[in-house]
Amino acid sequence: MEPIRYVDALNDKYGAMGFPAYRWSENDSAPWTPLAKPLSDCTVALLVSGGISHCAAAPFDPDARNDHRVDAIDPNEPSDQYQIHDSYYDHSDADRDLNCILPVDRLRALADSGEIGAVAARHWSGFMGRTYNRSKVRDESGPALAAALKADGVDLLIAIPA
Amino acid sequence: MGLVARVVEEAGIPTVTVSTGRDITALVRPPRSLFVNFPMGNPFGRPGDTAMQTEILRAALDFAVTATEPGVLVDLPQQWGEEFVYFTGEATPEALAKQLKK
Repeated sequence: MEPIRYVDALNDKYGAMGFPAYRWSENDSAPWTPLAKPLSDCTVALLVSGGISHCAAAPFDPDARNDHRVDAIDPNEPSDQYQIHDSYYDHSDADRDLNCILPVDRLRALADSGEIGAVAARHWSGFMGRTYNRSKVRDESGPALAAALKADGVDLLIAIPA
Repeated sequence: MGLVARVVEEAGIPTVTVSTGRDITALVRPPRSLFVNFPMGNPFGRPGDTAMQTEILRAALDFAVTATEPGVLVDLPQQWGEEFVYFTGEATPEALAKQLKK
């Protein structure tokens, strides 16, 4: 099937609710850092924006706007210990199996088999949708995450928007 | 999220974005993107389908090795197997009131 046109669909939805059209960042180039090592030596972290928090932590605001909250996720925690609060997508499958959207168990298996060097000490969940104040991502919350990844010796980040 | 990937990459850590929203990702242009034509809550597949989950994850890891130019978006061949539609969520009056207060 043809890919869903989310730009139109989302603006139709939120336009009907009285919101101004959301303008995503448009870029015609991208930054680049080459992977420095073979995967079998890489420490890999996951980042997801789907409103996923540990059951012992506060739930995310399912209707978030401009929410710059980012939670560290313990990669060794059982994957059934999470809650998802996000009204921007259907997470009924991910409620049953977190690996549908945040493949923590699959990544651990690849580390166990030696395909990757290691799972990072922390995964990350945050940056929920409808971020109108994007300069804060560029100047504050994004660099803060990058600093945390460096502190953990992360060689590769897999980013999963939802 | 694509913006975050760009910031992290600029800071010196390679990133691969696994996206279910092709048009959005094409606009934001993260450094390396894989588009998987699955529902937004299922970028790695269905519950319990460990083979598919591993396949997509492995494709993302491998793309960190094989990608050669910044901003490229590759369409993965995996098929969801049935039609799906955009999930419009619960636009309840309560949710709407909360939104408008923000």
